[in-house]
Amino acid sequence: MFSKNSGVSTLTLAMEAILTALDDAGLSLDDVDGLATHRVGDSTPPWVVAPALGLDGVSWYLDQFGGGSVSHSVVGQAAMAVASGVAGTVVVYRAINARSEFRMGGTGRGAAPVFDAQYQAPYGYFAPPQQFAMYARAHMNAYGTTHEQLGAIAVRQRAYAVKNARALKRDPITLDDYLASRWIAEPFRLLDCCLETDGACALVITSAERARDLAQPPVLISGAAWGGGDSFFSGVPTDFTVTEAARMAPRLYAMAGVGPEDIDVAELYDCFTYSVLVQLEDYGFCPKGEGGPFVESGEGPPVNTHGGFLSEGYVHGVNHVAEAVAQLRGTAGDRQVAGARVALSTAQPGYVLAGTSALILRGER
Amino acid sequence: MTRLDPDRDSAPWWAAVDRGELLLQRCASCGVPRFPARALCNRCRSRETAWVPARGTGRVYSWIVNHQRFLPDLPVPYAVVCVRLDEGEDILMYGNLVDAAPEALAPGLPVRAVLRDGLVQWTPA
Ligand SMILES: [Zn+2]
Repeated sequence: MFSKNSGVSTLTLAMEAILTALDDAGLSLDDVDGLATHRVGDSTPPWVVAPALGLDGVSWYLDQFGGGSVSHSVVGQAAMAVASGVAGTVVVYRAINARSEFRMGGTGRGAAPVFDAQYQAPYGYFAPPQQFAMYARAHMNAYGTTHEQLGAIAVRQRAYAVKNARALKRDPITLDDYLASRWIAEPFRLLDCCLETDGACALVITSAERARDLAQPPVLISGAAWGGGDSFFSGVPTDFTVTEAARMAPRLYAMAGVGPEDIDVAELYDCFTYSVLVQLEDYGFCPKGEGGPFVESGEGPPVNTHGGFLSEGYVHGVNHVAEAVAQLRGTAGDRQVAGARVALSTAQPGYVLAGTSALILRGER
Repeated sequence: MTRLDPDRDSAPWWAAVDRGELLLQRCASCGVPRFPARALCNRCRSRETAWVPARGTGRVYSWIVNHQRFLPDLPVPYAVVCVRLDEGEDILMYGNLVDAAPEALAPGLPVRAVLRDGLVQWTPA
């Protein structure tokens, strides 16, 4: 179905194309557990398409940034996903209104807003600290989670950063310092929020065999998982206290052959204090709703041993993997977790029209 | 704050807001209401839909009180509420709390919609 003006959204185009392809193949939506696309800000991502189709079993997704140069790589990565067993049936789609709406390098109008922003931004609700504050408030409403419990996360991570020469924030803080920091968006204060950082971080991935011949002790990727995220579509769960990570974690642990009790160190995506708390629940370190008392007690594995985004710096996740590698190699210096052999490192747990992903890494010491 | 451009699914919904009407989509096949607008029912996958008036009532599910001056022309503080509409557990709408102080906010607070300046706002019922 090609035209000069489809008259419909890229979401509608994507859904119709997917249904047509499945019908042609003699498959149904129930067969689909992988969804992949690529785009340049001009289309609807898989985590919007999946709930709009009522798909809730997507175990692999790909939202590849890029234009024509990546169209085939999306197909290749889908094949890899199937070959590796993370997905059984992947649908790759690409849906654009490149004539009537936005075309890269074109002269048409701008890209349509990403689905839900139009219902939020006009009310002054558009920034991540506001969104995560909204989820944190829901957790407080449901489970009585307190400011002091959020503060315990900030204080503990800062104490790790004190021991990390790479960290941007190395002055120790107390719970009183936390409680005295200014409001950003209640229930979040300044010290609930990650740093704004210029920085870079890179990882080298090769075969285990080759890695064993290189200069550093190898760290093995034991598990990798993808999750489709949540959106505020009707007909999908709208419980802000549970993230996509809760659905994904069992797949991740199964692939690695471990459980939460085997994790020696956890580097959990900490754009805000609350995202650590909810992941402790959703990765199974404590029951749902008990994250607050759990973080106050200090139980569970050491978390964000570099200080995290809150205190080391915000490099969008890769610095969490780098810290997990340092811990598993035993090169984390003053902040080394003794005998660390298995690490969990996670991405944003899948709030706000976003997917999630995570790794389980294993050292060979 | 100004509205963003509607997309091709939401244009009729925003046009109704401009007329002072709060609408939901309802699947013409299985009857399930849905918001935001889109072309397919994700329960029964029917493409048949109708626009129906919303009751305009709900309960506060969560909220924030924003203090940071993210935009220079936006006076702070202000409250943003997330309201669970009475039509369904899975129908959420955002808006500002209007004609009340943020101290009034509590989990489950009954609210009603106030359509004002082309936006959907909420006030204690
Ligand atoms: Zn239906």
